[in-house]
Formats: sequence, structure tokens, C-alpha cells
Amino acid sequence: MPTLTYLQAISDAMREEMRADERVFLMGEDIGVFGGAFKVTDGFIDEFGPKRVMDTPLAESAIIGCAIGASVEGMRPIAEMQFSDFVSCGFDQLVNVAGKTYYRMGLSVNITVRLPSGGGFSGGPFHSQNPEAWFMHAPGLKIVAPSTAEDAKGLLISAVRDPNPVLFMEHKHLYRRVKGEVPGGTYETPFTARIAREGTDLTVITYGAMVHTALEATADLEGSVEVLDLRSLVPLDEEAILRSVRKTSKVVIVDEANQMCAAGAQVAALIAERAWEDLDGPVVRVATPDVPIPFSPPLEQAVLPQVDDVREACRELLEY
Amino acid sequence: MSSSSTDTYVDVTMPQMGVSVAEGTVVEWKKQVGDWIEADEIIASISTDKIDTDVESPATGRVSEILVDVGDTVDVGTVMARIATDAKPGEAHRSENGVGTGEAAAALEAPGEAGELSGDTEAEHAGTAQKVQRQAGGRRYSPVVMRIAAEHGIDLSQVQGTGRGGRVSKKDVLAFLEQGPAQEPPMHIESPYKPDTPTPPRKPKPRLARPQEPAPAPAAGGQPLSRMRQAIGARMVESLQTAATCTTIAEADMTRIEAARKASGLSYLPYQARATVETLLEFPALNATLENDGTHTVYRDAVHLGIAVSLGEGGLIVPVIRDAQDLSVEGLAKRIKDIARRARSNELAPDEVRGGTFTITNPGGFGSIMATPVINLPQVAILDTEAVVKRPVVVTDEFGNDSIAIRSMTYLCMSWDHRALDGALAAQFLTALRKKLEAWPIN
Repeated sequence: MPTLTYLQAISDAMREEMRADERVFLMGEDIGVFGGAFKVTDGFIDEFGPKRVMDTPLAESAIIGCAIGASVEGMRPIAEMQFSDFVSCGFDQLVNVAGKTYYRMGLSVNITVRLPSGGGFSGGPFHSQNPEAWFMHAPGLKIVAPSTAEDAKGLLISAVRDPNPVLFMEHKHLYRRVKGEVPGGTYETPFTARIAREGTDLTVITYGAMVHTALEATADLEGSVEVLDLRSLVPLDEEAILRSVRKTSKVVIVDEANQMCAAGAQVAALIAERAWEDLDGPVVRVATPDVPIPFSPPLEQAVLPQVDDVREACRELLEY
Repeated sequence: MSSSSTDTYVDVTMPQMGVSVAEGTVVEWKKQVGDWIEADEIIASISTDKIDTDVESPATGRVSEILVDVGDTVDVGTVMARIATDAKPGEAHRSENGVGTGEAAAALEAPGEAGELSGDTEAEHAGTAQKVQRQAGGRRYSPVVMRIAAEHGIDLSQVQGTGRGGRVSKKDVLAFLEQGPAQEPPMHIESPYKPDTPTPPRKPKPRLARPQEPAPAPAAGGQPLSRMRQAIGARMVESLQTAATCTTIAEADMTRIEAARKASGLSYLPYQARATVETLLEFPALNATLENDGTHTVYRDAVHLGIAVSLGEGGLIVPVIRDAQDLSVEGLAKRIKDIARRARSNELAPDEVRGGTFTITNPGGFGSIMATPVINLPQVAILDTEAVVKRPVVVTDEFGNDSIAIRSMTYLCMSWDHRALDGALAAQFLTALRKKLEAWPIN
């Protein structure tokens, strides 16, 4: 199996799926000749031509709206938000149109929206956000967030094939930092959680880039720490969460997103409701405080959950 | 109950309506504040989970306070109203004398009253607190620790805590459980049932005449059996004399249950009970009753599962979990725990020890490995679950290769009534039960 970066795995997923299914096409800002802001679609225009790799105006509402229309006509568009932060301009199309069309009219909205998200590279308040929870609150949208190259490819292919609108949260910080063996061809990864590391004494529940933070933070702790990679936020793999909590009885939930109503808040609520009698300590959350992400590198480090923050939270709870 | 130097009050409390009723709901007040009431006159209608009934006034006087609103549910013993017994018929209630009206007046008129009421509440709280204290030894415990302790009847004050500030963690309580298997069977503890007051000792009757010896002094002689023992004896003899009792025994590999049990912290019994209930639905002929008059009733949709609870020396009682088919393993564990506790504290209602369709008895906690239980008539079968012991057994892998492995094994011993069914069915039932236990899904 070839070893690919997270970014190459995403490109590979789209390339293979476009080769396999001519209904699949791409839309986005500067994704054609320029190859995308992060070069995810580098070379795509040469292989697939401008009709399947469409440069669009800087108008997220138009991009998502066109994608919805195309999908209703039977296409399988993949729309790129240059930065996930910009999706707010397409909010209405996603939340009110994409999420509700099946409910209102019985029409499948088979679109995939790629959202390069997350911070850690001094991108500042408009280029570093993790907006997944905005959409978790909106019925009708699925949201996935891979942490590995293999899952990035498999989840993206599953997203393209899923008959529902799927938001694909790809973490920019992982683009070139994470590598792994990735199967060739096409394959689907289910929208379920994955145990990134087994353990018995405490569970860290997280997703995306924070999976790597959690793995590093808990590698040499005294105590056996399980790391659960959610992979999919909607649907949320509740049984996997409860299974792990019932085993370890202690939970640390890590979000890179702002703490208030983040995905981890939903996980914490689920545990409080359905695993109460299995808890041996408070449910602990580590997340970004409710502030915009600063430009300043040391300030950004101070707000984003770091390896030491997660390690300390786990150590505290293990000793509880 | 005097709240001031001049007035005497009698409390009207939520009555105890049978042993199992813990609370009641006020449906209607027949009298209002200020009304005159005679002793034994109905003051309120109440409803409990068992029955609806009326509450009679314990005294003659004037209703001075109503403390529980219609629709509210309160614990047995809670003061619902007060009656001023110094009042005279025809005499206006104080609130009618222009001092004030309603509750405000009552409060004004009887400044001690509020204090007394809160006194009651505090006393109640103190009682609860004491209970918790006694149970928890003054420490606080996490939900999982409380649950495991409850399921295994562990006195948490005996558990050494290694968490922060000596907190008892899940690990501590599991370690305690591991080291002290004597704590394991929660159902076999000393009986809270006191033997009935002995009737005047009968003249002892030695079974063998020994004319040479003087009759033993009464102090050294026998005591009559308690009423409970007599009742058990009569029923057991009746069963053996009535039913055509046969016992069939199957061996089951409990290794998977052992793993599931370790993960869940539950005992074997709820797993065995759940598997038994499922199997009974497949073999309804065993989920049946056979009355003396020949009436044979087969229950196809519901299992009312009797669980024999040992009361130690005092005897044995078989509370029934109705509609056990609707309960998960965890649900069964909770119900078993609950009925065992209430059996030991004499809180079972008569209805809870009737109407079983099948019984499980579980003496394995004492270490026995095989027994021939006596059928709990009119049921047609009783399953006896015994100790789970590690034994070397031959296991065969998927390619047919045999090897000897250490497995957790147990015997499932079932007595059944040959009048109602035949041995082949009993064997099929036990085999189906064994297969369920051996294929138990592990997460």
C-alpha cells in the first residue's frame, strides 16, 4: 500500500471517485488552474477538464446552492470551502436548503462539502475555526472529521456516495503532518467511531487533529488510556462511546473547537444520561475557551488544547 | 403535638397501607381548614400504587392545617394535616375571628407550628442522612462505585480507598470484590425475620423412649419451628408428595458470561435469569402451572420469574419478578437486588410472592455444585444454578481439533414435574439454555 499524506489521501479519494463515477465533479474557489489554496486539487484540471473541476466566484452561498441543484439533477458534487470559516456565507444554503430538502420534498441532496478547518498555524480568527458544531445543531446534515490518511480517503468516498449532504471536516494542520498507508482504488469507511488505542483506565474521546494530541499526551501516562476517535459527529456513534465509558468509567473529552456547545458537549451529555452508573469520576472537558483564535503564535498555543493540557487533565482524572 | 401552650394538635399522617406501600397520593380532601371532624370520620381520599382508600381522622376536633395538596405524593408517615383537638364544635376557627385568613393566619396564630413542621422535615432528613452515612461511612462515592457496591452488597466503609484524598475508586471496589469472595452472595445473609414468639414450650417428646433418663429440662429441649419454617416445610412436603419430581442436569461453559460479568460488575444470576427467560419463551411448556385440580396453564408470552431468596436461618421466600421477559440483564439485576433487599427487610407485598410461572434458586454462592431442588407448586419446573468453578475441559476449535482448556463451568440442575412434561423436553430446554449462556455476546 502506498504511504500518503492526509492531503494526498483526500486528493486520491476525489481522483479515484471521479474516475469511477462521472457524476462526481468539483466546485470551489481557485481549485482549477491554481490547484486549490492547499493544492488538494493540483493537476485535477489536466485530468478531468474544466467542466468537472469548476472555478467559482468567491461566493459560498452560490457554490453550495449550485451543488444542491446539481445533486437534485443527479450529479454528485464535491464543493470546497477554501477555509471552513468561509462556510458561514453558505450557511443558509446548507442549513435551510441542503438539510431540509429531503424532509420537505423527498429529494436527495447528495452533496459533499469539504471544509479545511482547524488552527495551529497562526492563521488568526478567520482561518482557524472548527465550525462543525454549528451544523451539528442543524437537522439533515451529516458531519465527518477524519484524523488519519486512511480514514480521510475512506470517509470522503463514503461522503460522496452518501445520499445526504455531508460536511467533510479536513484538518489543515494534519494535511502534511500525518502520513499513513492508504489502500488504492476506492473503499468506504463507515460513519462510526474508531478506537485509536485500547485502554482500560480512562477514555479520551475526541476527533480530528486532537486524536493525535490525545495519543501523544497519553502515550507515557501511568494508567492505560483508551483513545476513541469519533470520526463521525453526525451520526454520533453513541454505542461506541458508551461501550468505552462502561469499560473505563473515566472520561476526558477533547475539542479543538470553542468549548460552548461543541461536539464534546453532546458527548458529555450522552454519557451523563446513559452511562451515569458507570462513572467513577467527573466527565472532564478540554477545549478551546470561547474566544476567537489569536494570530499571535504564543497566544494561539495558549488557547488551543495542547499535549500538556490533555496530559494534565488525564493525569488528574486517573488519580481521582 | 402541641404547638402552643393552649392548643393541642393531632397529626393526620399518610397511613401505611400494607407492607410494600411506601407512598400515597392525596386524591381529595373531604374536609377543609376550619371544618369540624369527628374521630374516624373520613378526612381525605388517597391513592397508592396498590389501592385507593380513605383516610380517617385519628381524633375529634377542627381541621387546623392541610399540608399536602391534592395530587401530591408523599411518603408513608408524612403529616398531611393537623387537627386541633382543643377546639369545640360550633366555635369559630381562629382564622374566622378576623385575625387573618387561611394559611397566613394559621402561621400567625401558631408560631410554633412552622418550627414543628420543619422539625419533622429535618428529622426525616436526618434519618436519610444517617442511612447514607451508615452506608457510606461519611465518604462520598462515584455512581459506578455505588452501583457495584449495591449489586454485591458491599459495605463501602470496609473498602480501602486509593484515589485522591482516600476516595474509593472503581478499581478499589473491584479489588475488594476480588479479594473477598465471601462478600459476593448478597442474597444469603442473616435473616431479618425474627422467629415468632415461641409458644410455651411443649413437653419435649424424645423420639426414642429412654425411660431410664430423666426428661430433659425445657431449657435444653427443642423449640417449635417458626411459622415460616412450618410453612416452608408444609409446602415442600406437599410438593414432593404431589409432583412427579425428576431432576435433569446439564453442564454449561460460563467463560463468556464470566467475561461479560467482569465487564459489567454484575453477578452470574441476572445473566442466567435473562437466558432462562429467553429460553422459557421458546419452551413455554416449562413456563406453566399445574393445579391440583388438573388445571394446566401454559404461559406463552410472559414469564413471571420467582427468585428464591434465602433468609438465612429464618427460611426462604420466593418473590416474583412479573413480566421478566421485558427486562434486560441490568434490569433483572436491579430487580433481583431490590426484591432480595425487600425480602430481607420484610417489605414484600403478598402480591409479590404469588403468581410465579417458573423459579430460579441460586445456592451456588455457598459453593455447592449440584442439587435437586423441590418444585415450587403449582409451577412445573425449578432451575437450580450452582457454583461456577474452573475445570479442565476438552474444547474443540473450528477445525475440529481438541485441546484441554481451563474453563469456568457450572451445572444447571432443573427439577420438573413429570405429570406436566417429559424428560426429553427438560433436556432440550437445558441444552437451549446452555447454548445461550455459551454464546453470550461480549462487547
